[in-house]
Amino acid sequence: MPRPNFAPEKPILTQRIPCWPFADPATRRTIRLDEYQRTGGYDGLRKALSMAPDAVVGEVKDSGLRGRGGAGFPTGLKWTFLPKYDPAGPPRYLAINADESEPGTFKDRLIMDFDPHLLLEGIAIACYACRLSKAYIYIRGEYFHQAMVLEEAIKDAYAAGIFGSRGLLSGAATAGGGPWPLEVHLHRGAGAYICGEETALLESLEGKRGWPRIKPPFPALKGLFGKPTIINNVETLAHLPSIVTFGKEWFLAQGTKGSAGTKLFGISGHVNRPGLHECELGIPLRMLIESKDYCCGMRHGKKFKGAIAGGVSTGILGPDQIDAPMDFDIGKNYNVLGLGTACPTIFDEDTDMVAVARNIARFFKHESCGQCTPCREGSGWLYQLLSRIESGGGRTKDLDLTLEIATSMGAMPGTTICGLADGNNWAVRTIINKYRAEFEKRVRPTYVPVTMSVGAAANA
Amino acid sequence: MAWITKNSGGAKIERRDEPYLTQAIKDTVTRTYLPRYETKMGALLPTLHLVQQAHNWLPHQALIEIAEFLGLKPADVIDTASFYEEYWLKPKGACLISVCRSIACEFCGSKAVTDACRRRLGIEPGETTDDGKFTLIELECLGSCGTAPAALFNHTLHENLTPEKVERLIEEAERSGSHGHH
Ligand SMILES: Cc1cc2nc3c(=O)[nH]c(=O)nc-3n(C[C@H](O)[C@H](O)[C@H](O)COP(=O)(O)O)c2cc1C
Ligand code: SF4
Ligand code: FES
Repeated sequence: MPRPNFAPEKPILTQRIPCWPFADPATRRTIRLDEYQRTGGYDGLRKALSMAPDAVVGEVKDSGLRGRGGAGFPTGLKWTFLPKYDPAGPPRYLAINADESEPGTFKDRLIMDFDPHLLLEGIAIACYACRLSKAYIYIRGEYFHQAMVLEEAIKDAYAAGIFGSRGLLSGAATAGGGPWPLEVHLHRGAGAYICGEETALLESLEGKRGWPRIKPPFPALKGLFGKPTIINNVETLAHLPSIVTFGKEWFLAQGTKGSAGTKLFGISGHVNRPGLHECELGIPLRMLIESKDYCCGMRHGKKFKGAIAGGVSTGILGPDQIDAPMDFDIGKNYNVLGLGTACPTIFDEDTDMVAVARNIARFFKHESCGQCTPCREGSGWLYQLLSRIESGGGRTKDLDLTLEIATSMGAMPGTTICGLADGNNWAVRTIINKYRAEFEKRVRPTYVPVTMSVGAAANA
Repeated sequence: MAWITKNSGGAKIERRDEPYLTQAIKDTVTRTYLPRYETKMGALLPTLHLVQQAHNWLPHQALIEIAEFLGLKPADVIDTASFYEEYWLKPKGACLISVCRSIACEFCGSKAVTDACRRRLGIEPGETTDDGKFTLIELECLGSCGTAPAALFNHTLHENLTPEKVERLIEEAERSGSHGHH
């Protein structure tokens, strides 16, 4: 059962990163290797190496950990999709998704800025458990500072023998039959949101344009350079050291049913104290906004109008959905795409929701990779239509056309390769549906001349 | 906006004798990056980053040199380089100001920040000042939404911006002549 304010008993992911209500974020600084080790760092890896690799996979699977990158896929289950390990077989890879580009999202950056070894320890555990010999951290190009912090941390870890050809932890004996050598590399992206999509990320790692691949084959079987590959988000991996150390029951005891554990929540927008907090999954949005422990209420005492649920792709929570618990069931219960990155952007009563929709449509038009016609063309049309409505030139029928285009694009309707178009679909559709009256006030009615059928007018 | 074709029909291809892909860069790629990947193409993004860091943008000749060095077709290199927004295939100012225009920033005042840059520099987003000192662009979320509005001056992030603050930053960049690292 979560505590009344949904804060963990002790911070876990943020145990070395000051966050409210535990400590003042102003005192944050980057934790170097010696301090990390002095405060229990790499103990999780040490314990993992004393377990059989399959036992680590089992522990993670039973812990209920779900991916923190947006889709919420069960982590342990994903790992079991790998082919059976064959020492004489091809190399197997881990790709770490540090592309964090979903508008509104600023959580992985926190770990990379201040506690980079937490990520590195998680990487080592995942690679040991899944029998992966090389790890690539794919970090977005704009995170230049974070890339330097990580580069330094990787160097320190190699120098201390934590990584390298001798095997993890200076060639320590493991329960997996001998030391486990691991190479870890950093790979900087160059400004393309789509490279956060896992198969586009692989293409980009191979030096190509970031065009998502058609699945199947799934990366676990045929991923980077055609070899078995696991892709996990930064925050997902950062959970591993504590899951291994404290066990699955401990992890399962936090959060809500189907949404185990703590999560980083990054709140932006019209609140008094925007910022990052580690809370148990299931915390109501209202508590994040209003509690003195978190965002201290709406800015200037204004009323709440809506919130992007967790990155623009997830769509919007309307004025009457402020009590939504922030867990993996939010999609099912509140008509949004899902929890996404759990980084909501909050809007007050003065916000122009037509402008919000236009902003998001512009984003997707800009970031569509252009492979699929419904996404490439649809994103352009949505932006044009919403811009016209925003500027007062729209007609009632434009609203229906906008909804029709939005609804038809995406991997779920089955018209596109990847989920970028679904994000566009959900964002535009939920905003129009939940603020329909506001949109209708902005458009001029479409008059149907008595001599014309409604269908003909719609095509006019 | 990777899929929008850019007008390059009339572009003159400049050539110079001195290579852009210097021996030092080649050595770094050979020593550090090539061993990391199964294919030579794997080292393409890091190589493009290195060359752009050294020259501030990626001239056509540099792309050809990179292709030759990595054993790729020039078309492959251009295909990749033109896809990513961070690679500049035309010159940019010594100081690149990138103002975030995504959701948290726009609704916390990024337009006023961009307008202040426009006024102060006398250019529109996408343009470079005549003296080649500044280029202004707008881009999408910088992962700094909790401290919106945000902007990058080259690689240095500035948060909680106001029009006054950004004007001060421009003045500082102008005075010091140092614009952070490329
Ligand atoms: C358009 C698009 C963009 C994405 N961007 C990111 C991203 O920036 N970071 C991330 O971790 N996952 C992103 N994802 C999700 C990844 O495809 C993938 O599901 C995730 O990295 C898997 O890691 P996890 O299971 O640990 O969450 C994106 C997905 C789509 C469709
Ligand atoms: S859905 Fe859009 S972004 Fe995804 S592959 Fe198709 S065109 Fe590219
Ligand atoms: S929206 Fe501007 S930094 Fe995220």
